Amino acid sequence: MMLPHISHPMSDLPPEAASTTGNNGCDDVSSRIEQIAQTRLSSLASTIDQEGYYPLDVLEELAQAGLFSPLASKDNPDLVQAVRGVSAVSRWCGSTGFLVWCHMACALYLAAAPDASLNTDLLALHLKGARFGGTALSNPIKAQAGIEKMALHATRVAGGYLVDGTLPWVSHIAQGQYCGAVASLGEDRTEQVLFLLRLDKPELLFKCPHFSGMEGTSTWGIRLQAHFVPEQDVIASPAAPLLKQIKVPFLLLQCGMAAGIIQGAIDSMEEVEGPLGHVNQYLHDRPDTLASELKTLEERLIFLARNPAPQDKGYMLDVLDIRAHGAELALRATQSALLHQGARGYLSSAAPQRRVREAQFMAIVTPAIKHLRYEMDRLSQEEMPV
Amino acid sequence: MNAPAYPTSVTLYICKVCGWIYDESKGDPDSGLPPGTRFEDIPDDWYCPLCGVGKADFEPLPQQPPTLASPDQNVRPASVRNTGATSTAIVIVGGGAAGWSVARRLRALDPLVPITLVSACTADVYAKPELSVALSRGLDATGLRQETGQDAAQRLHVTLLPQTVAVGIDPHAQRLRTTRGTLPYSKLILAQGACPVEHPAFPASLVWRINTLAAWAALRTQLGQNARRIVIVGAGLVGCELAEDAARAGHSVTLVYRGKYPLASLLPAQAGARLQQQLRSCGVALIPEAIVSSVKRTEHGTMVQLETGEALTADYVIAAIGLQTDLRLAHMAGLQTDQGIAVNAQTLQTSNPAIYALGDCISLDGQPCRYIGPIAPQADAIAHAVLGLPYEGYHHSPPAIRLKNRSLPLELRGQPDPALVWHTIHNTPERLVMQQRHDGTVTATLEV
Repeated sequence: MMLPHISHPMSDLPPEAASTTGNNGCDDVSSRIEQIAQTRLSSLASTIDQEGYYPLDVLEELAQAGLFSPLASKDNPDLVQAVRGVSAVSRWCGSTGFLVWCHMACALYLAAAPDASLNTDLLALHLKGARFGGTALSNPIKAQAGIEKMALHATRVAGGYLVDGTLPWVSHIAQGQYCGAVASLGEDRTEQVLFLLRLDKPELLFKCPHFSGMEGTSTWGIRLQAHFVPEQDVIASPAAPLLKQIKVPFLLLQCGMAAGIIQGAIDSMEEVEGPLGHVNQYLHDRPDTLASELKTLEERLIFLARNPAPQDKGYMLDVLDIRAHGAELALRATQSALLHQGARGYLSSAAPQRRVREAQFMAIVTPAIKHLRYEMDRLSQEEMPV
Repeated sequence: MNAPAYPTSVTLYICKVCGWIYDESKGDPDSGLPPGTRFEDIPDDWYCPLCGVGKADFEPLPQQPPTLASPDQNVRPASVRNTGATSTAIVIVGGGAAGWSVARRLRALDPLVPITLVSACTADVYAKPELSVALSRGLDATGLRQETGQDAAQRLHVTLLPQTVAVGIDPHAQRLRTTRGTLPYSKLILAQGACPVEHPAFPASLVWRINTLAAWAALRTQLGQNARRIVIVGAGLVGCELAEDAARAGHSVTLVYRGKYPLASLLPAQAGARLQQQLRSCGVALIPEAIVSSVKRTEHGTMVQLETGEALTADYVIAAIGLQTDLRLAHMAGLQTDQGIAVNAQTLQTSNPAIYALGDCISLDGQPCRYIGPIAPQADAIAHAVLGLPYEGYHHSPPAIRLKNRSLPLELRGQPDPALVWHTIHNTPERLVMQQRHDGTVTATLEV
């Protein structure tokens, strides 16, 4: 059944209420997060991007300020506030924004775990930035969409599972940290298990090739050979219902990243409007145009985060579409910001050239634009009896 | 110069994780594998130079790249060429009768205006009303297709994006997002049609809905050459036509419906009785005043459970219970809607001046009008409005409704009102004429 949509969902709210990056003036937590993001990341962003500085200290500070608190409620996470948090950080540094997203995704897995050592003890440490961990779900999400095969396989043994396989690049992990991971199960490999993978031994990790940017996201390859996962670290088996459940926050939080990067690009354009406005007027995708498109995107994003309806096909199309829209607009906005700033934006320490790569990352990280379009196409097909 | 000595039947192997290709003719010199190293001779401690996974994560690369596309899609699908900032292009959403009608009228009025047509299906041109009478005429999908979408596009100089779903609209930026890219538009024309009503009692995995050539063709293929047990739910125009068509094609047909007689929402009892009798004489079993509570798969076939407790077993179940407009895009664009997309009755303009709509997806004065007749004049009005040409405007009049049953052709003109009395004008076994009047004026005429 189709659910009615709400036209201009946020038009009855003041503009700042729909903005994902702007604080609403009465929210101390949001202000504090924005303040930390701006003061710490504006100077560190280039070091993180180029030199591979892994900003766990900034993440801890942001966590202390309450960045991850919206995910404290297991049954009813505050997705709107979480999206705003990701966005506020991504405005200043896309790599750190991505780390925030990884950390939030992992928090969702921990919250869903049946064992109290995960859903209570570790989650509490995770949310306050005392422990860190990410997500290795790119492969299973693509496998679920039929795009690639499952990389990890688990065999049932007494007290848990033995897991084999290799994942090439997983972010926000390091020795002593952890991530959510999924392995196929059984002879026919149709079932899956989602578990917490504790990266407590150095031989589990291998170095990745050098990326063109976002080097500070602590991205490693994971190689598992008969790696034992105890029963208490199993988060969901079968994994499919949880994978379905996390899809909406997973995508909307990513869209928060895109919104932050776009806002950062608009900031960079406005920065040079005084000295360069007389020539920048000849460019298309001017800051006011992009700000208007960002406003439309943010209004929809907040509306979808506030009113989740994962059972509804139209809603899921909206979520996939807004994630693709975010990536597309980020590509356009960051490209335009570089054109607006000219040579000063092309310096290796400059934000505009860094954001171009951050936007490219948004367009290719799972689910990539092509993957999103593929899923929307599949979801739109008329179902017929077999 | 000596060529390196390696076997001529070299093979490629692809890393399942990152897609890096090991070419035996090139080897991997950086890892100490000279050109010509056979994959099976690579030591087990070798790793993919790009992503670091082991040899076990490689598989032979097929000569033809694997494709998820169906075999008939041997043509590379079209893609969006221009994603630039602004465009004067007119974009049409929908490759059915309404979409092509607008494209034809626009092209007739302006040989140069850029037109892009976005269609979720292949946009082949066919007459949809024929779907409910095609079984007994021995037609197949090729026979029903008047022209392929590609041919029509070429003839009309239209950029066609087939098998492309319109997924989002930014009405302020005037951009249409599709599954093959984002299109800027100067004017957007929604001709997206209507889709069958979804109902939990009729799961799409078990129940057919005949609203597209693709669905009809798939059912036709499954029916094969044998006589089948078919249950059709709903006795509106489509249900009645399909029932007679399938019965004439030799199938055993049961028609299940809510009313006391077929077409009860349109016809007076006297005409309904004739239709009922004619359907029976064609061999259609009728179950009136019945509500389906569920449809389930059993070992004997598909079981249609009625609320009365009665159960019917069929090989195929078809639901013909009505159509509805998918308003998702319209709502995203902030358009006014009711039963469909609300449009100006003269210009077919929606509440957004850059967006027009026509056909099954619209409503005029709160009422959808899902017939073929009005589409051509609607397309004409939109084409003039969009091109800024003078035009007197669209004047809606209810189209004559024709039931295409061969045993009982029936025509209904005017605006039938279920609350008004039908007066009998002529009543012989061969012909029945009835009329409704309001303040002395004939408002509807029925001829059977």
